[in-house]
Amino acid sequence: MIGVLRFMLRLPWMLLLATLALVFVGSSALYSASQGSWSPWAEQHLIRAAMGAVIIAVMTFLPARWLFKWSYIGLLGALCFLIILQLIGFGTGATRWIAIAGFNFQPSEPAKLAVILALARYLSEQTPEQLQEFVVYIPAIALVGVPFGLVLIQPDLGTSLMLLAGGLTVIFAAGVPRRYIFGAVIAGLASLPVLWSQLYDYQKARVMTFLNPDADQLGAGYQIAQSKIALGSGGLFGKGFLMGSQSQLNYLPEKQTDFVFTMIGEEFGFIGNVAILIIYFIILTSIILIALRCENRFARLSCMGVSMMIFLYMFVNVAMVTGLMPVVGAPLPLISYGGTAMLTVFAGIGIVVNASINSHIEDSDYL
Amino acid sequence: MKKKRKEQKELSGIMSRRALMLGLGQALLGGVLVARLYDLQISQNASYKRLSDRNQFDQRLVQAPRGRLFDAQGRLLAGNSEIFELLVVPSRVDDLDQLLTHIGQIVPLRPIDIKRAKKTISRQPDFLEVTIRSNLSQRELARLAILSPVLEGVSFQKSFRRIYPQGWLTSHLTGYVSPANERDVKNNSELRFLPSSRIGRTGIERMLETNLRGLSGVERVEVNARGKPVRVLRDKQEQAGNDVTLSVDVGAQFFAAERLRRGISETMPLEHNSVQAALMQNDELRAHVSTGDNLVLKDGNGRLVPPESGAIVVMDVNNGDVRVMVSNPGFDPNLFSNPLSVRDWKRLNEHPRTPLLNRVISGLYAPGSTFKMVVVAAALEAGVISTKTRYECTGGFDFGDTTFHCWNKRGHGTIDVVQALEQSCDVYFYQIALKTGIDRIHNMALRLGLGDVTGIDLPGEKQGIIPKRSWKLDSRGAVWTPGETVIAGIGQGFVLTTPLQLAVMTARIANGKYAVTPRLQSDDKPVEFAPLEISPAIIRVLQKGMRAVTSGSRGTARRHDIKGDGMAGKTGTVQVKRISKEQREKGIVDNIDRPWKERDHALFVGYAPFETPRYAISVVVEHGGSGSSMAAPIAKDIMSYVLKQDVA
Repeated sequence: MIGVLRFMLRLPWMLLLATLALVFVGSSALYSASQGSWSPWAEQHLIRAAMGAVIIAVMTFLPARWLFKWSYIGLLGALCFLIILQLIGFGTGATRWIAIAGFNFQPSEPAKLAVILALARYLSEQTPEQLQEFVVYIPAIALVGVPFGLVLIQPDLGTSLMLLAGGLTVIFAAGVPRRYIFGAVIAGLASLPVLWSQLYDYQKARVMTFLNPDADQLGAGYQIAQSKIALGSGGLFGKGFLMGSQSQLNYLPEKQTDFVFTMIGEEFGFIGNVAILIIYFIILTSIILIALRCENRFARLSCMGVSMMIFLYMFVNVAMVTGLMPVVGAPLPLISYGGTAMLTVFAGIGIVVNASINSHIEDSDYL
Repeated sequence: MKKKRKEQKELSGIMSRRALMLGLGQALLGGVLVARLYDLQISQNASYKRLSDRNQFDQRLVQAPRGRLFDAQGRLLAGNSEIFELLVVPSRVDDLDQLLTHIGQIVPLRPIDIKRAKKTISRQPDFLEVTIRSNLSQRELARLAILSPVLEGVSFQKSFRRIYPQGWLTSHLTGYVSPANERDVKNNSELRFLPSSRIGRTGIERMLETNLRGLSGVERVEVNARGKPVRVLRDKQEQAGNDVTLSVDVGAQFFAAERLRRGISETMPLEHNSVQAALMQNDELRAHVSTGDNLVLKDGNGRLVPPESGAIVVMDVNNGDVRVMVSNPGFDPNLFSNPLSVRDWKRLNEHPRTPLLNRVISGLYAPGSTFKMVVVAAALEAGVISTKTRYECTGGFDFGDTTFHCWNKRGHGTIDVVQALEQSCDVYFYQIALKTGIDRIHNMALRLGLGDVTGIDLPGEKQGIIPKRSWKLDSRGAVWTPGETVIAGIGQGFVLTTPLQLAVMTARIANGKYAVTPRLQSDDKPVEFAPLEISPAIIRVLQKGMRAVTSGSRGTARRHDIKGDGMAGKTGTVQVKRISKEQREKGIVDNIDRPWKERDHALFVGYAPFETPRYAISVVVEHGGSGSSMAAPIAKDIMSYVLKQDVA
């Protein structure tokens, strides 16, 4: 009895409650997106949240070593899926989905987590001296580079960049020496023209549209223009639940997925949008605090990776709908309608909860 | 070892610093998002709000014209007239009251229009258009259009209004349409954007709603920077609803309705002094005249009364086509096309003779003596009588401690079954009903089309009641008594039928082979009915008896035969109020001297021509006195008209 109580006290309640709050916000938004109806989205969203709760519960009780032990296998599995996708996948314009047992599944989402875990394991196995040597980082770059390449050729620029950023975050958090960071930044900038030449036309168009959105109001700039109108007309308090004219009259595209933040902004205004950002802030802060508390490097690094993954989802999405970034197609975690991304975020939170409970375990315990 | 520990501690410190740096970076970027949102939603709110308002007029739905209804000769029963609507978008208006006053100075606005518009505004999001007036004339449209640059938030839209050129004459057939209510919008959210769309509520309009409605189109209005329309692009062409042709004939319908309304009374001009005087005192007459009907009658006692109310059906005995369907009083379905005024609604609802009720399918009447064919058929089939079986009528039938009277106090003497139908002898039927039993009568009635809906293409049809033993036990928890069989034998007591069911019964007797069912949409496809399965010998007895009613020397409708073609029929006089023993001893008061509500219903069913039956008719005149004096002559005139029309 006391044991159960002590276990309960060790759970990261702030994180869990904030997660629940986002799920609730998401279902209400999806309810509004279908003009005040539970189907087709809000209901499904809640079902997936229930599945997510199961995932978190399972991961809470996994032995700490388990994630460590299986992380390479996990990445290998993710790579297999990405390769299979190239062979049998489908999607509009790009191959992003495969169907497994009747569910459409987007392998690039869990790949993000697999990369984080594999990198966390690899780097936590290196001694402090080894971390000073350049060669140690070549396998690390390969661990993130290969999946990055596979997602990039789908082609899915947005997700591949997010995957890359997540991986680099883990390397950065592991304590890579500053001199390598500077080197990488210079190399990255130098390769930009090469990357640009490799982009598909529609990707180039998106970037150009982003740089000059007013030039093309009814084409690629349409979504962003309408999104800004919806957000801007929401004002401080919004137009009221189910009263957003942009959203309810279908000017706003994809309001159940990528543009859900816009719809909330139209109906609940600046107050509503900032409230959501605050909830994310609570989640991210909780994760970083847990990372700081962990006594082993694997847990620390995976927490930092998860935190960056959630942050990137959120940041890219909000920056996109507010016109700060080109349209890349990133969901708003736990709020947007979309199964794979949502379950991936839940799995990430599960990893953090597991780390939180096992924060006392030291590096040597894994060996 | 010590060095290693130190190094590890150092790394842990670096990692913590890096974690904090990442956290700080996230917070900073989050701050950028908040700043961006502030810029969009607070600083630039006003300009985006304007853009959002303008957006709503980018695209809109175009109402499809509703399918039209025609009679068998291609005459229009329900159509659409082009109108212009005055629309306002509340979110674009600074001061709604001021705007409405302003509009009111240019075109007339009734207080009810304003009240209704405000109610709609309070119920829906303010970015949706609200109809202020839905029937602008060309002149009003022109006057408003000139001023439209200064009337912010006002727009016009061409739309359609449902019109019924035949008015009350076909009101129960066509039914009516009315504006969509909240439940309709919930079922079909498109209706929110089509403020002028109408939904069928009764009659054919309701029955064929999905067929008549059509598919709405989409158009895009290109607007300039000041929100004024520049040009219109049609994204999707609207698709008109399907036109429907009905089997009724408006000419016959009009003749039948006028004939029923006049009854057997003299008509009085409305301007006549006596009529004006009567209007002051007589509430019923006033209720009637206030609906816009000018027909006033002078009855046999010299009293001024409204037209007769009741129902008439004429149907084809071979294919079931309904040629005439009159239910009087009717109403003007045009009233409902625009939101109904409270005054009109009150008039219709408080009218003593329920004009909204379609008596043909929803009015329930005891069939009275028109039920006697059923009893004869059941008795013959059961073998309890033969065509030769005779009974003596002395004017009454003693059963237990009660006496059941015949309508003829002096009695009919000793008569057979054909004579019993001819003279409608009640005593004869008391006896054969008892011998046959209620369950067998019930069975026969159902086979002839009574006691169940006929399946005509109209909503709201009533089943009626044809009792049997188990029915009484189930519905009243009491045992069926033989006395109730006696009463049912003359179509009174529990028995209730609709005028349409009586027409179907008559059509089946006339047809003799098939269980004809009625229909309003005649297509040229041949119809197939279930076989009637009543022996031809029995049908012949019924037809012979019905022929004797109009042609026999003592027939109850002997003065109302159709020369040449010959009509077979049966009268019915249905007692509405029980006559007590004292009243009977004092002498029964004549119908005409009783209050209208207590007079007998007058019924007649018949078919013609006798040799080659073509049409069946059923006539019910509410509180019309007697079948032979009131219903039979009406039926004869209408049937003659329809037959003559066929020849021409």
